[in-house]
This record gives sequence, C-alpha cells and structure tokens, in this order.
Amino acid sequence: MNVNNDVLISVRDLKKHYRGHKIKALDGVSNDIKRGEVVVLIGPSGSGKSTFLRSLNLLEIPTEGSITFEGKVITDKKVDINLCRQKMGMVFQHFNLFPHMTVMKNITLAPMKVLKKSQEEAEARAMELLSRVGLADRAESYPSQLSGGQKQRIAIVRAMAMDPDVILFDEPTSALDPEMVGEVLDLMKSLADDGMTMVIVTHEMNFARKVADRIIFMSDGLICEEGTPEQFFTNPNHPKLKQFLQSIL
Amino acid sequence: MNWFNTLAEQIKNTFSDLYTNISEFVIDLARQFEIAFIVDDRWKYIVSGIGSTLLLTFLSLILGVVIGIIIAAIRATHDKQIDEMHPGIGKSLLKFANGFCRCYLTIFRGTPVMVQILIIFFVIMASSRNKMLCGVIAFGLNSAAYVAEIIRGGIMSIDPGQTEAGRSLGLSYVQTMAYIVLPQAFKNILPSLANEFITLLKETSIAGYVGVTDITRGANIIRGITYQSFWPLFAIAAIYLGMVMFFTWLVDLLERRFKNSER
Repeated sequence: MNVNNDVLISVRDLKKHYRGHKIKALDGVSNDIKRGEVVVLIGPSGSGKSTFLRSLNLLEIPTEGSITFEGKVITDKKVDINLCRQKMGMVFQHFNLFPHMTVMKNITLAPMKVLKKSQEEAEARAMELLSRVGLADRAESYPSQLSGGQKQRIAIVRAMAMDPDVILFDEPTSALDPEMVGEVLDLMKSLADDGMTMVIVTHEMNFARKVADRIIFMSDGLICEEGTPEQFFTNPNHPKLKQFLQSIL
Repeated sequence: MNWFNTLAEQIKNTFSDLYTNISEFVIDLARQFEIAFIVDDRWKYIVSGIGSTLLLTFLSLILGVVIGIIIAAIRATHDKQIDEMHPGIGKSLLKFANGFCRCYLTIFRGTPVMVQILIIFFVIMASSRNKMLCGVIAFGLNSAAYVAEIIRGGIMSIDPGQTEAGRSLGLSYVQTMAYIVLPQAFKNILPSLANEFITLLKETSIAGYVGVTDITRGANIIRGITYQSFWPLFAIAAIYLGMVMFFTWLVDLLERRFKNSER
C-alpha cells in the first residue's frame, strides 16, 4: 500500500437534504481521501454512505459544504464538472452498461468523445484492459450477452479506460449472484494493489478487512467511526457500529 | 300433380323477380359508378386528392416532429436537470421555456383540431391564400403537441442510471443525450410516432373545410356535381382504409426490424 500524504479529495461539512424530507441524508460530513488510499464505506441502509459517494462526483448535488478534488473546489459553480468527472471513474450497483453498444463501444465512447483519442488508440487501450480482466474475447459482444460478473468487470474497465485518479464503487457486488462476487472483488483487489485510489461502498466485510486502508462507518448521515480494518473489527467503539457488526457478522 | 306445377310456377316467378331486381340494382350501381367517376374524368378529383392528403400528412408530421423535438428537449431537460442547476439566467430561462411549452401542450391538446384549423385559416392566416400551407401549419402545430409527449415519454423511459453512467465518464449533458439516451429512446418512440402518422392521415380528412382539396373534399365535389353519395363516399373510405393498412404493415415491418436488431 503506497499511501502518501497527498490529499486527493477533501470533503468539508457536507450536507444534503432532499426536498420534502425532514431527515438529512448527509448531516455535516468531513473527510480527506489521500492519493493511493482504499477507503471502504460501510453502514446500515439509509445511513448516507451512497449519497456521500455520489456527492464526490456531484451525481448528487450537496446542499451545503465543499468538496475539493486535486486542489479545485468542485462544488463551486464556476468549475467545469465534466472536466473533474473525467478523472473520477464510477462503478454502479446495476452496472449501467450501454445496452445498444458493444463492449468495445462501451469502453471507447468516453475516451474518444471526451479525451478526443483516436479510435485506434482508444481500442488498443481497451483491448489491453480487456485482456487484463480476461474478457478480450467479449469485445464484440453486447452487454445482454454477458453474465452479471462479466458486466461489472466491463463496467470497471470502462471506468479505467479514462485513466482516472480515483474510482468510486457504489455497491459493486450487491446485484450479483453469489458465485460471481469473487471475480469482481478479485479485480478490485488487483486494482488496489496497483495503487489506484478507491472509495468503495460495500457490504462485503471480508473484502473490506483484506483490502481497505481505512474503513468509515456511517449512520444517520454522519461519520460515526473510522479507522484501520484491524482496530475496526477487533475493537469497535461506537455503540451503533457494535450493533451493526453484530447484525452482519 | 297440378299443385306441383303451380308451385313451380310461383317459385320461378319469384326468382325471376328477384333476378330482375338484382340485375337492375347492379346495372344501376354500374351506371352510378360511371356517373361518379368516369364521366368528365371525375376520378381525377379522388386521385389528386390522394396526393394532397399524403402531402398534407407528410409535411404536417415533419413540422410536428421538428417542433415536437424542441418541446420535448426543453421539457425533458427541465425535468432531469432543473434541480441540479445553479440559480441564474439559464435556470430562469429554462423554467420560462418549460412553462411556455406546458401551456402550448394544454391548449393544443385541449381543443379540437377542427377549431384550431378554422382559427388558423380564418383568423391568424386570414390574409394567406395558400390553403395547403394553412393546413400544414394547423396540423403540424397540433401534431407537435402529441409528438412532443411521445418523445418526452421515450426519453424519460430510459433508466436514469444510463445518464449517470454517461455523466460519470465526463460526457456533457448534450453528449449523453446524443450518444446514450436518444439512440435507446428512439426504439421506444418509433412505433408511437408511426401511429401518430396514421392518426394524422385520418385527421386530415377535415382539411376540406378550409378548402384543401384532399380526398374527402374530392368526394364531396363529386357528390355536389352528381348528387350521388354511394360511390364517392365508399370509395374514399376504402382508400383511407387501404392507406392505413399499408402504413400499419410498414410500421410492423419496421418494428420487427428493430426487435431483431435488439440484443
């Protein structure tokens, strides 16, 4: 783990409340994510962990607070968010592959349209990544012809093709059949080993224990506890975390 | 066996009467047909009417689709984006445009197309003598209201996750629409759009009220000249039916094509 002290994403006092809802999805969250760090977010459903993750690339617009990414305050309306999103990959629970495009087109669309790469360049990079995840033979398939695990690996490749500085994972294995969870987690582990900065919302505690540099436990829109996996699982402090760990382990 | 001969005689007379009646009826119809269509080449009213009907329908649909796309784009952008926009002139403008579009939809879908065409011909474009143009504008504006909702429905039917995936890769809103949402929405939109065309084809039969010489008007002209109603009216009914069946078949073909290309 090559974590250094270079802060990649800095979140300050982030709040989010949805119109017509009394409860705040985020109620003042602050955190720093360092370059090369693997951060796992856990917490009961409705705790705000997904909202927090989706706020990082502004898929959710926070009501208050600031997010600084690579020195730029991206919550400032003058910042071109599309430019920042190029550097922040995202992997979704339901894959969200584009069903009307082949795997190759899914992967090369953004590099060609956003980074203005040539088709040859984009396809060469795509093939390189596909070979790495063992799906090179699926380049011309359509998403509906793939298994869930394959779809999610392609979705990860699609995010990687943009050469992002961080990849956000929103429950990447929750929609998968149990036998396919492993292949996706293995790929994520190998990404982590390569030094990719990752922020992961997951319920896979074993994965969190093995891969995370830091685990954050959220409840009711707040960060209740954070720490290394070791202290987290062996010596939890917060009563809500104790209760949560008891209920899932 | 006298009774038998009498009976046979009676049957023969009855049938011969019937036969005479039927043959007279047929001859009569044939004569009416001749008067309605053959004399003075009156069939030309119908044939040129087919051209006018199709032209009116096509042009109206094109106008309707162009305006419909603009309205749908404004409405869908408003629905999807307004919460994310920072306050400013852009947001106010979009809100105003959306309000305008909603008024447009309410008015054009809430009043009869017949009334709309009369207003356009006799009030708004009273100085224009181009009847076809009036018809195209009236039906185009009316159709736009329906097409807009078809297209907006198609856009909104696409999973929001698709937009999120596109935006998370750094694609702009317009790029996401163009490469990801619209190509998928098009598949859902096309059959409804084709049905709108078929509806429009039938609706144009009222264009005769403002003097467009479509098929219905052609049939009415023949009725006026000949005082014959049977042939002209049934003929145009058959022609409308034929055209609708042809276009329905075409739409089915297209739909099957799309289904096959879907993986």
